[in-house]
Amino acid sequence: MAAKQNGNKGKHMALKRRTAILAALAAAATVLILLWKPTVINNGLQQAGLYAAIAIPMGLVLGIVHIVNLAHGEFMMVAAYATYFACKALGMDPLFAVLPAAAVTALLGWVVFRLTIQRALKAPELNQLILTFGIAIALTQVVNILFTSQTYKIPLEYVSASIDIGENTFPVWSYVFVATAILYAVGLRLFLTRTTAGKAAVAVGQNPRGAAIVGIDVNRSYGLVFALALALVGAMGALFLTKSAIFPQVGSPYTMKSFCLVAMAGIGNIPGILGASVLLGLSEQLLRAFRETRAWADIVFFVLIIAVILGRSVSWRRKK
Amino acid sequence: MILEIENLEAGYGRLRILQGVRLEVGAESVGLFGPNGAGKTTLINTILGINRPWKGSVRFDGREIGGLPTHEIARAGIALVPQERELFPGMSVADNLKLGAAYIPHAASIADRQLEMVLELFPILKERYAQLAGTMSGGQQRMVAIGRALMANPRLLILDEPSLGLQPSIVAEVFDRLAELKKSVSILVTEQNVRESLRAIDRGYVLENGAVAIEDSAEGLRTNPHVVKSYLGI
Ligand SMILES: Nc1ncnc2c1ncn2[C@@H]1O[C@H](COP(=O)(O)OP(=O)(O)OP(=O)(O)O)[C@@H](O)[C@H]1O
Ligand SMILES: [Mg+2]
Repeated sequence: MAAKQNGNKGKHMALKRRTAILAALAAAATVLILLWKPTVINNGLQQAGLYAAIAIPMGLVLGIVHIVNLAHGEFMMVAAYATYFACKALGMDPLFAVLPAAAVTALLGWVVFRLTIQRALKAPELNQLILTFGIAIALTQVVNILFTSQTYKIPLEYVSASIDIGENTFPVWSYVFVATAILYAVGLRLFLTRTTAGKAAVAVGQNPRGAAIVGIDVNRSYGLVFALALALVGAMGALFLTKSAIFPQVGSPYTMKSFCLVAMAGIGNIPGILGASVLLGLSEQLLRAFRETRAWADIVFFVLIIAVILGRSVSWRRKK
Repeated sequence: MILEIENLEAGYGRLRILQGVRLEVGAESVGLFGPNGAGKTTLINTILGINRPWKGSVRFDGREIGGLPTHEIARAGIALVPQERELFPGMSVADNLKLGAAYIPHAASIADRQLEMVLELFPILKERYAQLAGTMSGGQQRMVAIGRALMANPRLLILDEPSLGLQPSIVAEVFDRLAELKKSVSILVTEQNVRESLRAIDRGYVLENGAVAIEDSAEGLRTNPHVVKSYLGI
């Protein structure tokens, strides 16, 4: 029993330490590059905001429901498609679709959760991965059949807003993603630590049996958390559409990158996702800044995740 | 009778542990004794719906609760202090206690009063109010678990080895408090320390190999030759 307690304490400290390390690395990299290539910082931070805003809901689901949702980015893609056609039909700006997109995706998530994932909660992890991977493929293929692999985009003027400083021009629209990511992180923190429903969700994540004993409906909590995460990623689908063209596979790299960021931060560590995202966004933009390295930018997340796994197995071996 | 169990069978996989248990709890305090592995925890977990009953009935306040999900049984008015405590290790003592009442309809409105009572019973919890439950010592965690169950303002309080890991003076205090409590709440308690707990209970059952072997008053158990030989030791 004593070992279990120390384990809990140790885990907590380790998460804090990891957050601090990620934040320090991100800050150091930022300052260095800022002096040398300011546009990389500008683009990198905005990219980081996009990554973080998508990864945070995935981290929420992993932290409480203990499921890796490999259809995470695909749900965002579906939300973006729904937004696109709604906006086309109504002549509406995607910004006005943020809340409806969140609601529709949350509903879709709730149904998918009740029909499939809930039944796999006690299954081995591999089965859960196969299930959510299957959902990802199904979502992609349904969109592909309905709308073909053609790309869709809504041209918007405000997206090219920029600020000139000296001889550099800095595009600024994507800071909306940074704001969203910060809003998500702060909002979730408040929800999980200040509200009864949030505390109940945390309790379910830490000990489902203990939660049931105090009268919490565990499956309902899981469903609510899953739906909440999908609401957040659905809102991101509408925002994503302001900036990017969409096609059936557009969500899949975000699933992979979200998974990478959540793994870097460690389970249940939402502030850590912000730091990890800055690291990923900056490294990608740095590689993109040079013609020789540009092609490598898309796999830098792969390098980061391998580094994390290596780093962890080293510290794990040292502990033994 | 607030709790009536009849012919209850339950187990794990194909292994039947409870072999047709009959047990009742009224407005009183009832002990449940028996050797390790007799099925005490299995019985308690089956009452709470953590294990599914295979056969027989569990009635709480006249209503069949066998087969209901655990959270509904808890909301109906049964609070459990589990043998394994089952706290929320990464949450503060305060949050652990408050969650004991938050989802119980007849407890949420009087949570402040219950909290005061719990903190008075365990002053250390007041001192460590903001500490993470998982970083408390084993005995302190037991106090949190007991406190959390009391927060639910239960009609039936079930304690599975409440004195496990607690120092004797605190155990005595908990038993004294249970004796006070049993005027307002029914109690079912398992204990390894039969001698100490006989002071606090009205009646008791001895469970052996998944069936009730002896059922008697506290006085009757104290003088029962089998109980004296196997559980009271000389
Ligand atoms: N999850 C499980 N899977 C399989 N068998 C189990 C499980 N839990 C308990 N058992 C078995 O059920 C029997 C009764 O166990 P139980 O925990 O109910 O005993 P107990 O009377 O509470 O014992 P103790 O005094 O040690 O707490 C034991 O033989 C045990 O091995
Ligand atoms: Mg037991």
